[in-house]
Amino acid sequence: MTGVMLEYDNVQKRFGEFVALAGVSMEVRTGQVVCLIGPSGSGKSTLLRCTNGLEMLDGGEIRLEGQPLPRDPRGMRAVRQRMGMVFQNFELFPHRTALANVMSGPVTVLRLSRTAAEQRARALLEKVDLSDKAMSYPANLSGGQQQRVAIARALAMEPNIMLFDEPTSALDPETIGEVLNVMKRLAEEGMTMIVVTHEMNFARRVADHVVVFERGAIMEQGSPVQIFDAPLMERTRDFLSHLGWEG
Amino acid sequence: MNFDWSVVWTHAGELLQGTEITVFLAVVTMMIAIPGGIVLALLRLSGSRILSGASASFTELFRNLPLILVIYAAYYIMPLTLNIALSPIATGLVALSLNVSAYNGETFRAGIASIRKGQGDAALALGMSRWQAMREVVLPQAVRRVLPVLASTWVSLFKDTSLVSVIAVGELAYTAMRIRSQTFRVLEMLTAMAAIYWALGYPQAKLVDWLNRKYGINE
Repeated sequence: MTGVMLEYDNVQKRFGEFVALAGVSMEVRTGQVVCLIGPSGSGKSTLLRCTNGLEMLDGGEIRLEGQPLPRDPRGMRAVRQRMGMVFQNFELFPHRTALANVMSGPVTVLRLSRTAAEQRARALLEKVDLSDKAMSYPANLSGGQQQRVAIARALAMEPNIMLFDEPTSALDPETIGEVLNVMKRLAEEGMTMIVVTHEMNFARRVADHVVVFERGAIMEQGSPVQIFDAPLMERTRDFLSHLGWEG
Repeated sequence: MNFDWSVVWTHAGELLQGTEITVFLAVVTMMIAIPGGIVLALLRLSGSRILSGASASFTELFRNLPLILVIYAAYYIMPLTLNIALSPIATGLVALSLNVSAYNGETFRAGIASIRKGQGDAALALGMSRWQAMREVVLPQAVRRVLPVLASTWVSLFKDTSLVSVIAVGELAYTAMRIRSQTFRVLEMLTAMAAIYWALGYPQAKLVDWLNRKYGINE
């Protein structure tokens, strides 16, 4: 492992009265896969959305390669170009084909020529095993296929880090595997990844570091072996057994 | 009662000319009012109190005044107060555009609001600016979604162009009424006018249904 890519320093976020993040501190090293687990509403997704500025912090600081995240729109856009994000509901653009979805970032943001963008997009669709679906519209793709297109769309910006916000929670059980496989391959290629997930098997096998959230704070963090096989906290054990984790 | 339908055929040329002007008024009004409505909606949603307030005032003014009053105002008051003297056709276009822009503004606003927030988030997450996210992702979907409403506005507009006859614009209604008062063939001319409006309106409504099926959004 090399340097620290992201540092969270006492990060706080409120929505009205509700405290979504009550002072979270952690770090993500370059090339690491960090899985955030914990009950719904415990702040995992909010932390992800704060990371690329879709939500503004109310306190604390997030540093990307040592630099605090900028707060101005232009600086924020530059940061977002280096972070790919994958959403629970895919959020593919329904009026565009799979290929055009993947080309969106390169054409609009990077100002690549259509030819260059298409070349890049086709290579990425191949990487997620969807070459044959390039001309399909999202409505004609299964959930798993849509999510793989969404991953390709995020990768088209050639990000340094990928943020996954419950990428398999909206999927039918039979298509979860194909999405997790793509993510696993990405991890093996050395992509730095933060994954909010309820897929404990994935976290156990792929993560380098697991962070357990509860009520906007980190309850426990450590290697997957430690978290899954010998959790320190009683509540981590409760949470895992709720999900049917037998160890 | 005697009918003399020949009056329709002897004046066919004038009726055709009136019909052309009616189509011209409707088409040009919509060409102005679609971008106009989009601009009004974007201003309304801009987040700036001043721009949003200006857009809301414009919309509520022209949406809640009878169109015929706006037409009269454009004809009599605009030259006096703003010192702008336009031809009757141009005056009619101004009045119709003000009215239809206000309606379209509300239509587009509703359309934009109906696109779920995640779509904008996905565009921003790719590094797009707010304006790029609107232009590339939100607006194209919003426009498709409000096509049925725009279509019914269009069908209303097509008929409402008849109101500019009050300022002597020689469109279909004005022409038909003029022929009526010259020939005293009331029923024949009203029937001819109804037939022409309906014959033009019905295929438009069908065309719009078809557009809707072809370009409607599937999610």
